[in-house]
Amino acid sequence: MLENSLGRPAVISARGLYRNFGSTAALDNVNLDIQLGQSLAIMGPSGSGKSTLLHALAGIDLPDSGQITLNLPGSAPVQIESLKDKPRTKLRREAFGFVFQSGLLIPELTAIENVAMALMINAVPRSNAMDRAARALAQLGLAGMEERRIGQLSGGQQQRVAIARAQVTGASVVFADEPTGALDSATGAEVLETLLDCTVGAGKSLVMVTHDRTVAERCDRIVHLSDGRLLDGTARQERQAGAWS
Amino acid sequence: MNSVHLAWMLGRPSSTRSSSQILTVSAYAMVSAMLLIVLGGAYSFTSFEREAQATYLPLAGFAVVLLAVPLMVLGSAAARLSARTQDRALSSLRLLGATGGQIRSVSLLQAAGTALAGALAGVVLYLASSPLVAMIRFQGAPLGDAIYLPWWAVAIAVVVIVLLAVISSLAGLRKLIITPLAVATRQSVPVPSWIRVLVTLGSVALLYFVFTNIGVVSQEFGTIIAVIILGFGFGLLVLNLAGPWLVATVGRSKLKKAVKPEQLLAARMILENPGESWRQVSGVAMASFVAVVGGSGAALMSMGNGQESTGTWFDYLPQDILTGVLLTLVITFVCVAASASISQSASTLDRADLYDGLHKLGMGYEVMNAARTKSLMIPALTASIGFANASVVLVLPLAGVAVLIKPLTVLVVILAVVLGLVLIRAAISVANPRRLLAERV
Repeated sequence: MLENSLGRPAVISARGLYRNFGSTAALDNVNLDIQLGQSLAIMGPSGSGKSTLLHALAGIDLPDSGQITLNLPGSAPVQIESLKDKPRTKLRREAFGFVFQSGLLIPELTAIENVAMALMINAVPRSNAMDRAARALAQLGLAGMEERRIGQLSGGQQQRVAIARAQVTGASVVFADEPTGALDSATGAEVLETLLDCTVGAGKSLVMVTHDRTVAERCDRIVHLSDGRLLDGTARQERQAGAWS
Repeated sequence: MNSVHLAWMLGRPSSTRSSSQILTVSAYAMVSAMLLIVLGGAYSFTSFEREAQATYLPLAGFAVVLLAVPLMVLGSAAARLSARTQDRALSSLRLLGATGGQIRSVSLLQAAGTALAGALAGVVLYLASSPLVAMIRFQGAPLGDAIYLPWWAVAIAVVVIVLLAVISSLAGLRKLIITPLAVATRQSVPVPSWIRVLVTLGSVALLYFVFTNIGVVSQEFGTIIAVIILGFGFGLLVLNLAGPWLVATVGRSKLKKAVKPEQLLAARMILENPGESWRQVSGVAMASFVAVVGGSGAALMSMGNGQESTGTWFDYLPQDILTGVLLTLVITFVCVAASASISQSASTLDRADLYDGLHKLGMGYEVMNAARTKSLMIPALTASIGFANASVVLVLPLAGVAVLIKPLTVLVVILAVVLGLVLIRAAISVANPRRLLAERV
């Protein structure tokens, strides 16, 4: 397993990523390591390439060039950029969890079915999937709301369902794109707390795109993107040291 | 900026909306072409001798009644698609402060404009296909120029289509006027009432009684034909009433048994709006209905074959009825295929963001496609079987068991049901999310 300069294992390693949309460089020689159990915030102005980077790391979109290596504990390394669409889709549903700003919950399904669907797609039998989904919802404070349809839940509750779906499969890495962007500040803070508990708190990695400095500050590490270039990142210890000096 | 200018700005041809715009105009073109061909066919019978007209015109009227539902389904699919393509733009206008009246005028102008463009394309399609239709033989000769409707009838058909589009658009607008966000805020799944079933069963029983005693009602041929036409028209209406309930009942059963993700999703998609699920497949139900009625009619007529020639128009009647039945079925199927393609494409375009998003999360397009396929094929099968059974009940007193179990009847029914299901399946493939959404990007 690759190790970064801090000696912690890198669950995802990106090297020399380039991605262009026409004449615009969305990723320009990006190198990044994400460690197991680490939370990483990707910040930057609109159009700086934040979502493109998240999509590339998660295998949603492919870079024009560069390597992305996934090093899951107990598994052989996987070169994400070399996978075709089907195996990449399989990888996303088995190894990763996702929480997007819009939730992307299926409106026809109930809360518990939305969570169970993530397991059923991985061939877990329905009854087992429903049991595990119920437990995941209960852990996030949604006990009693299992049978509610998505339209019957508040924005914060919907994001909790999305978090439950992202972690119910036991994914080692959770990708979040502005997960609190559509919520008021109090609800956003609660959802962020839940997200961190479920991921970093459980030894998993969290990669989060955000515009919000206060949200980013809760992460172990912040990296900044500008015109597709990764600027120097800061670790929480450095930020705290900076604040105290 | 006035409403006409605004309507043009939002509705003018554009590369970003080309899929839905082409689809909407094509849908209206198909509706008007089909309507004109059906009316032209019926109109051509006015060239027959007076005695033949007395039989052929009521039968043509009967065919028009049977075709009304598939045509209306196709028309409403076109109107809904037209309204959907503008939903987002109109919502934004509302948020920008446009009044309800302004939104209404813009939407109505757009609906009318799109329908007019489609209807005019339909007239061209009708004229282009007329030489082929003119070759169809009735009374032992091709229909010929008699198929061409007078210009005023064509104009009336175009106006009717535009008016229907405007009415559909008005109905769809209510939601938008109430909330600027135009977001579906339904809290619970609508459950079609069992009262619909009671009304349907009662009506079918009443029709069965009327048809059994039709000789008591009147001995006059014209009256009997009129009662049968009205009876079947009424039968179609009440059977449509029970359709959503039937689909919801089957959907609930599928939900309980679902073990795979696509089965669970399909059952929930059906139950999300059983009325809409029903509407999408009601054309197949109509085809089953037409097949039973037409198949037994054709079988009934074929029993008269081999009789001595009378040397009059009557000699051609059995063959002409079979031709009429087949034509009615063909037109029904064209309408079914077109409306299913339109509804499915509209639904896929509507849910594009969700499909893309779920794909990002790792749900393959094949799972979503399988769910979509099941969510339509299950109601389609339910509709076919349900309507075929109901129409057997209605036809029984008129034709008798001997006719219903004749090979010709059974063959027409089986062919119609299978063809209907194959067409629906093909229509689903047309609206494959992967292809449609790839075109959209």
